[in-house]
Amino acid sequence: MISATPKRIPMTSGKKVIWTTGIILAVLIVTVPVYLLVKYSISDIKSINTGGKPIPWWPFEPTMQAFLYLFRDHHFYQVLLNSVIVAFSTVVLSLILGVPAAYILGRYKIPGRKLLLLGIISVRLFPDIASVIPVVEFFIHIGAHQTYWGVILAHTLLALPYVIFIGIGAFESIPADLEQQAWVMGAGTGQTFFRILLPLATPGLAAAAIYTFLLSWDEFIFAYFLMLGNQEIFTLTLYLNGIKYAEPQNLLAAISVCLSVPVIIFSLMVQRYMIAGISTGSVK
Amino acid sequence: MHSSSVKSFFEFIRKAWPLLPATLYLTGFQIIVFVYLLGLSLSDPAAGVEFPSIQPFLNLFADSRFQSALLNTLLFTVVGTPLELLAGLLLAFMLYQSFTMRGVVRSIFLIPLAIPALVTAMLLYILFDFPGGHINHLLAGNYWSLPAIISEPINWRGSQFFSMGISLMGKIWRDMPISMLILLTGLNSIDPELFDAAKTMGASLFKRIFAIVIPLIIPSISAVVLLRSVEMWKEFIFPFVLAGRYNLLGTLIDFFYNELGNSNRAAAVAIVMVICIVVTTLVLLKVMELLQRVLLRRG
Repeated sequence: MISATPKRIPMTSGKKVIWTTGIILAVLIVTVPVYLLVKYSISDIKSINTGGKPIPWWPFEPTMQAFLYLFRDHHFYQVLLNSVIVAFSTVVLSLILGVPAAYILGRYKIPGRKLLLLGIISVRLFPDIASVIPVVEFFIHIGAHQTYWGVILAHTLLALPYVIFIGIGAFESIPADLEQQAWVMGAGTGQTFFRILLPLATPGLAAAAIYTFLLSWDEFIFAYFLMLGNQEIFTLTLYLNGIKYAEPQNLLAAISVCLSVPVIIFSLMVQRYMIAGISTGSVK
Repeated sequence: MHSSSVKSFFEFIRKAWPLLPATLYLTGFQIIVFVYLLGLSLSDPAAGVEFPSIQPFLNLFADSRFQSALLNTLLFTVVGTPLELLAGLLLAFMLYQSFTMRGVVRSIFLIPLAIPALVTAMLLYILFDFPGGHINHLLAGNYWSLPAIISEPINWRGSQFFSMGISLMGKIWRDMPISMLILLTGLNSIDPELFDAAKTMGASLFKRIFAIVIPLIIPSISAVVLLRSVEMWKEFIFPFVLAGRYNLLGTLIDFFYNELGNSNRAAAVAIVMVICIVVTTLVLLKVMELLQRVLLRRG
């Protein structure tokens, strides 16, 4: 979609200079903040508390201190573990609920399909910060407040529409012939689903799973409202927010880097999986 | 008649039962959200107001904290939406050219999407620190031979103007790739021959952009403006981290709920936010429709 051949608007040399300057400026605006984040995470404390001297653009004595401190801290491991528990459970629950729905919506023409899709999207249009109060109040009612389960259920609510939509795409791309041939050869609906459709839809569903993991990993609003008051189950985002007034900046930056690295890596992976999903669909 | 519809219902269930768990899950939560929001916002046990009553809303409108948060959010939306559009347009126009490093530059422009919003906010929190902090040092002329713009360090988060501005800056930085992608799709669908024709007829670059490009990508522009304005109304994380003392509607919900423990008032703010979003969307749809008609007629 975005890789379509760009068109050339002919430019005079004066305009070319303006345009090149613009590109360089834009690249700097995007990259400098990321550089600064990394810079802070490897800063020694003298490069932060400079005693009035200007803060250096490159640390005086670059150090991995902040990261080493984090990875020696038992509490930080607990926080990482919490994030993984919540994100992983959200993935499992979202797939269990979402994949069967995506299978039906992607392979069958059922009455009211459009309306159903509209309803599924509309869940995401409602502001999180507005729906969080009812959800928390309800969870207080059923005792899921300040528990892993509450956060997992809430994150599943956020992720499910995406899983269904990516899943529909994955199932739709499988040729109908394949399914019919399986039926002709005597395979039942269940057998066809598990042995033929599910394996073929796996690249797309993997993308959905990764997307869900990331959504839960860096989600803040529901995690914050649902976990506030129970530090034991704090996820990475909450931990980072909780220490922003107290801890030195290199530690804040180091935690920020830990939070971002999986997102950056997995975002790249999702792209690749999606391309793989599209190309296998066209080859077979 | 009746029995046949029952039969077809069962037929439907027999075939489409795998749909049920997800549908029930989503519908269930939607019902919970609506029931609780209405129930909470239309009553106020602490003030002795029973359900259903409009009184909680009247009390909310009279609350100066709400008034300032509503005004702040309105300003945030009115200033932020055009800026997001502008940032997206600039990036998209840059990528519309063909040049050797285009693929690399496009990937670089997508970087902010891969940085969690909380991390972006936290970085701005560090950079705009007071009294030290990179930005204060930079503006004080402490680097290279840059001129001193300020003589005293600025307390960014202590000022309403600056804390809102920095929140907006972070929001725009984080989200501009989304606007860029939508606009780029629009740009790529324009027939390049239109440019050549306009150029042969002697139209200036300015004229070509405003008479051809903008009217033709109005659908993409509408999409960006609609999506971004909704995002602005419901913004939470940037002001939460960067503008602690000055509330938007989003952070006001947090303040009422988590600081004051007043779920009724928090729910009322949430309802107001949803109404603002719906009204803004309807108004913008009309405006965009009008704009397209005017631009196309003139072109």
